[in-house]
Amino acid sequence: MKKIVLVVLVIALLSLGGMTLAQDGPFRVAIVMPSSTTDISWSQSIYQGLLDVQEAMGGESAMEIAFTEGMFDVAAAAETLRGYAEDGYDLIIAHGTQYGTSLFDIAPDFPDTSFAWGTATDTGAEQGLSNIFAYEASAEEGGYVNGVMAALMTKNNIIGVVGPVQAGDALLYINGFIQGVKATNPDAELLVAYTGSFSDVAAGTDVANTHIAAGADVLTGTSQMVVGAIEAIQTEGGYWFGTQFDQSPQWPDAVVASQVYNWAPTLADMITRIQSGELGGVAYTLTLENEGQTFVFGNVAIPANVLAAAGEAAAGILSGDIEVARELPQ
Amino acid sequence: MESSRTLLDILIAASGLTLAAATPFLFAALGELFAQRSGVLNLGVEGIMLMGAFTSVFVISDKGFNAHPAVGLLVAMLVGALMGLMMAFVSVTLQAEQGISGIGLTLFGQGMSTLLFRVLAAGVIVAGGVEKIDLPVLSNLPVLGSIFFHQDILTYAAFALVPISVWVLNRTTWGLQVRAVGQNPQAADSMGVNVARVRYSAVILGGVLAGVAGASLSMALTGVFQENMTAGRGFIAVALVYFGGWSPWKVMAGALLFSAANNLQIWVQVLDVRVAGAAIPPNLLIMLPYVLTIVVLIFARERQRREPAALTKPFERGEN
Amino acid sequence: MMPPTTTLPSGHTRIETAALQGISKRFPGVLANDHVNFDVNAGEIHALLGENGAGKSTLMKILYGLYQPDEGEITLNGEVARFHSPADSLTAGIGMIHQHFMLVPTLTVTENVALGIRSGGPLLNLKQVRKRLIALSDAYGLKIDPDVYVWQLSVGEQQRVEIVKALYQGGALIILDEPTAVLTPQEVDELFVTLRQMRDEGHSLIFISHKLYEVQDLSDRITVMRDGRVVDTIANHGVEQRTLARMMVGRDVQFQPDRPPVTVGEVKLAVRSLCAQNDRDLLALKEVSLEIRAGEVLGIAGVSGNGQRELAECIAGLRPATGGEVILNGHSILSLSVQERLQSGLSFVPEERNRHGTIGSFSVAENAILQNNDAPQFLNGPFYNFEAIRRYTVDLIQKFNIKTPGHETLLKNLSGGNVQKLILARELSRQPVLLIAAQPTRGVDIGASEYIRGVLMQQRSSGVAILLISEDLDEIMALSDRIAVMYEGEVVGVVDRDDADVETLGLMMAGAQRA
Repeated sequence: MKKIVLVVLVIALLSLGGMTLAQDGPFRVAIVMPSSTTDISWSQSIYQGLLDVQEAMGGESAMEIAFTEGMFDVAAAAETLRGYAEDGYDLIIAHGTQYGTSLFDIAPDFPDTSFAWGTATDTGAEQGLSNIFAYEASAEEGGYVNGVMAALMTKNNIIGVVGPVQAGDALLYINGFIQGVKATNPDAELLVAYTGSFSDVAAGTDVANTHIAAGADVLTGTSQMVVGAIEAIQTEGGYWFGTQFDQSPQWPDAVVASQVYNWAPTLADMITRIQSGELGGVAYTLTLENEGQTFVFGNVAIPANVLAAAGEAAAGILSGDIEVARELPQ
Repeated sequence: MESSRTLLDILIAASGLTLAAATPFLFAALGELFAQRSGVLNLGVEGIMLMGAFTSVFVISDKGFNAHPAVGLLVAMLVGALMGLMMAFVSVTLQAEQGISGIGLTLFGQGMSTLLFRVLAAGVIVAGGVEKIDLPVLSNLPVLGSIFFHQDILTYAAFALVPISVWVLNRTTWGLQVRAVGQNPQAADSMGVNVARVRYSAVILGGVLAGVAGASLSMALTGVFQENMTAGRGFIAVALVYFGGWSPWKVMAGALLFSAANNLQIWVQVLDVRVAGAAIPPNLLIMLPYVLTIVVLIFARERQRREPAALTKPFERGEN
Repeated sequence: MMPPTTTLPSGHTRIETAALQGISKRFPGVLANDHVNFDVNAGEIHALLGENGAGKSTLMKILYGLYQPDEGEITLNGEVARFHSPADSLTAGIGMIHQHFMLVPTLTVTENVALGIRSGGPLLNLKQVRKRLIALSDAYGLKIDPDVYVWQLSVGEQQRVEIVKALYQGGALIILDEPTAVLTPQEVDELFVTLRQMRDEGHSLIFISHKLYEVQDLSDRITVMRDGRVVDTIANHGVEQRTLARMMVGRDVQFQPDRPPVTVGEVKLAVRSLCAQNDRDLLALKEVSLEIRAGEVLGIAGVSGNGQRELAECIAGLRPATGGEVILNGHSILSLSVQERLQSGLSFVPEERNRHGTIGSFSVAENAILQNNDAPQFLNGPFYNFEAIRRYTVDLIQKFNIKTPGHETLLKNLSGGNVQKLILARELSRQPVLLIAAQPTRGVDIGASEYIRGVLMQQRSSGVAILLISEDLDEIMALSDRIAVMYEGEVVGVVDRDDADVETLGLMMAGAQRA
C-alpha cells in the first residue's frame, strides 16, 4: 500500500508544474485566470494589458505582477485569491465571471485590499462593499464591425460561427457579429454552432470542419478553443475574424482582422484610483469609444470598400447612429 | 437564407467528418483493448495521448525541429511506449492498484505536456499537419469515394488496424497469450507463458497506440497543440473498450457511433434544425453523444460476460 | 512393465527416474518442506498422501518450477535439473494437472492446448494442434470436442482436457493434484483406466490424494507426508487404510462418526418449487422442492455448479428467489431479510468461509460476534462490553476446541479447520432450528473434520434439522439420513441413506439416472 501511495505522490508532484511567479515591486498586482497567459484570447489579452501598464509605470521595480493560470477549478481559484490577499497584494484580479461568488466572500475580509473581476458590472456597492472594481467588454461592438467585414468578404455567401458556450462576452461578441452580417449582407447564410467548451480545441475543429463542409468560407469564433478552427479555415483557404487577441501572427493567411481587448487604460485607471485611496466602486466597460477595443489587421489584403465599410460601422457605433443590441430578437 | 445543399451532400460530408473524428478514438481504444485483454486497465490513456499530441506537433513545427510528420508520429509512438512501460512497471511489477496508477499517469501526462508546452513552445503550436490523401481510383468513386477515400493516412491506418487487431488476437501466438493472461493468468503461467512479459508487451503496445491517437488528434485532425487539448478523449476511449465488449469490431462501431452522434448534433446546430419552430438549445445537443453512449451501455448486457476475468488483478505466482 | 523403447507414444523421452533430494522450503512462519526425499520412476504411479498443509502441494510446485527450493535439488535420470518456471519443467517433460484446473474458460479446447506450445513461431497453427489433439484423445479414450469453449464443458470433461493438454505437451512425468475431488464415481473409474494406460506406456505419474481407498486402488508406491516431512514411503502391498490414516494424522482416526438412532420430529424446513438465477442471470434452481425434519440430516450430493450453492444462498437470504416458497418452522421466510432469517432460527456455514463467513483482518472475538454484534448481552449502553465479549469468545474457544493463541488473534492467522470450527461454534451458539452446512470440511484437516462431523451428529441428536451440502460423496454417505442429488438445478432424486449406493448416486450426479 505504501508503495502505491508513494508512486501516486511522486506522479502527482511531477505533474504540478511551478505555475506561480512572483516578483518584488512597490505596486503589487495579482491575477487568477482560467486559461493560460499564452492562449491568444481571454487570458493572454489581460496579461498583455498588465505588461503594458507595467512598462508604462517603469518596469518591474515599479509594479509587480503575480499570476496563477489554468484555474478551471473555481474552488482552487478561491483559495489562491485568498492567499494573494493574505500576502498583501494591492490589487487582486479575478479574471472570470465564475470567480464572482468567491470574490464576494473574500473581499469583506480584506477591506484594505482592492479587488477586480469581470466580465461583470456588480461592484458590491449594494452590499456595502467599496473595494471591488468590475469590468466588462462591449464585445458586441467589435463583433458588429467584424460582421460587417465578414459579410463583404465571403464568396460563397456562407459564414460560420464557432461558439464556445452561450454566455458572457462570447455571446455578446457573437450577437454583435450576427447583427453586423445581417445589416450588411442580408442574403448571407449564417451558420452558428457551439462546442460546449472554452478549451476543447478538437471540438472547435469539428465545428469548423462542419461549417466548411456546409459551404462556409469565412469563420469567426471566440475563446481559447478556436485555434483548431482557425487552422481548419486556413487549410481551406478561407478567412477568419478574431476576437480578444491578435491571432494573425500564427495564421497570417487566414486572419483578416482581430477585435482586440485593450485592458491597459482600464487597468491604469484602477491603479491610479487605488494609489489615491479609492479601492473600488467603479464598473468599467471596454468599448470602441474608450479604446478598450481596437482592431488589428494581419497580412490578408482587405479590399478598400471593406475597410471603408468597417470604418463607417465603427464611426456609426461611436456616434450612436448604429445601436448594437446585446441580445438578438428571438 | 436558401441553400442548395442536398441531403445526400450533407450525408457524404458528415460521413467523411465522422471517419476523421473517430480516428483518435479508434487508435486509443484499440490500444486499450490489448492492454485490457491482457488484464491491465490503463486509465493513463488520456495522459499518453496528451504527450503524444504535444511531442509530435512540437518536433514537426518550426518551434521544434521542422521534422517530417512521419518523424513526429515516430516520436509520439516512442513517448507512448515509454509511458506504457511506466504503466506496466507500476501495475505489473509493483502490482499497484491499476485504477490509481492510471489516473496518476494521466495527471503526469497532463502536467508534463503543459510544462513542456510552456517551456519549449510558449504559445499555441501550429503544425500545418498531415495532408489528406486521395487513394488512387477509389477516391473517384461516386459518393463512397469522397466519404472513405479522401482521408489522411492515419485514418486509413486506424481502420486497417481493426481487422489487424482481430487477426493478431485470434491467429497469433502472442494474441492467444494475451487473451489467456487476461482471463486466467495462473493457467497461462502453468502452461509456461511468461505472464509479466505478455502484459508488459500489451500495455506498451497500448501506449504506442495512445501516442499515435494523440498525434492524430494534434497533427492530423486539428493541426495545432493547445494545453489539455485531449479534453477527456482518452477516457472516452477507455469507455469505448467496455462499450465494444472487448471486440475490435464493436469498439470500432462504438467509435463511429460516438463520432457520428457528435457530428450529427453539430449539423443540427449548423443547419438550425428547429422543433416546432423553436431552436434546440446547443447544450442539450452537445450531450447527445454521451447520452447515446450511456443508453447503449445500459442495453449492452453481453459486455459483462466478456469482460476479461483477470482485469485489474495483478498476477502473483502461487496465489490460489 | 517396462516397454523396450525410451520414447513415449506422446513423443517425449521417458524419465526413468525423477528425484527430489533433501528439499526444504520455508514460508514466513512455516517450514512447508523439511528435507524431503521423493522419487518416481517411469512406468510407476507413486501416490503422495497427506493432510492439507502437510507439504504435498509445495513439494509438487517445486518439482513443477512454480517455487524454488531453499535447500535440496531435483535430479532427472541422475542429472541435476533447475526449474525457474513451469516453462523449464515443461521443457524437461514434466506436466501438472492442478486441483483447480488451469484452463482459460473463454478459449476453445484447441486454443487452451495451443497455449502451451512454445516452439510454434509467431503464428498459430490451430489446424495442426487440433489434428494431434484428436489423435491423442482417441489414443487414450478421452472423448473431447476440440472446438467448444472450455466454459461449456462439465468438470469431468475439463479434466480430460487437462490430461490431453499434459500429454500434448509431451509430459513424461505427470503430477495429478487431487484429480478425483470433483468427479463422479464413474468419472473416477474412467480416469483410473486412463492413468493405468499411461503408466503401462512408461509415463511417470505422481498421484496426490487424501482419499485412502483411491490411493490403495491405483498406486504402486505410497509416500505419506505430515507436517512438512516424509513419514515413510512404502510399496502398495496389502497396506490397510487404518495404517495409512495413522501415518497421515499421527494417531488413530475414526472414519465413521457415531450416528445414534434419532426419532425425527416435525418438518422444520420446507422448500417448494424454488427457482433462482445464478450470477450470470441463468436459471440455476428449477422448481426445487425439499423437506427436512427435526433431527434429520438431508445431504445434497452433486458435482459442484449444479445449483447447490444457489440453493443454500436462497434459503439463507443471500440470493433472491424468482419463484417458489421457503417455509422455516411453519413460517414463510422468503420475504424476510438475512437478519430476520437468522433471528427465526436459521444458521448458515457458508461454502467459502473466508469470503462469506468471516473477516480475516478482524480478531477471533470480533468474528465470534459478527452476526450478533448488537445483541444486548454484548452491549453496555451504547458501547461494547468487551469483558462479556471476551468471556463469550473464550467459552466458544474451549467448547469447540479451537486452536488459537487467544481471542485477540487475527482470524487470518488461524488454520482452515479452526476457522471452520469458529464459524460452527458461532452459528450453533444461537441454537438454530435449521443448520445449513455447505462444504463444512473442505480444505480442513482430518482431525478437525472428524470433530466437525461429530458436532453435526450431536446437533442432529438434539433435534436440529440439517441441510448438508458436500461434493464429497463419502461425507454425504457418512452423515446423511436422506440424500438428494442435484443435477443442472434440479433435484433428480431423493433416496434414503440405507438404500443408497455409490454407483446409483454417481449416475444420478452425472444426469444419467433419476430416482
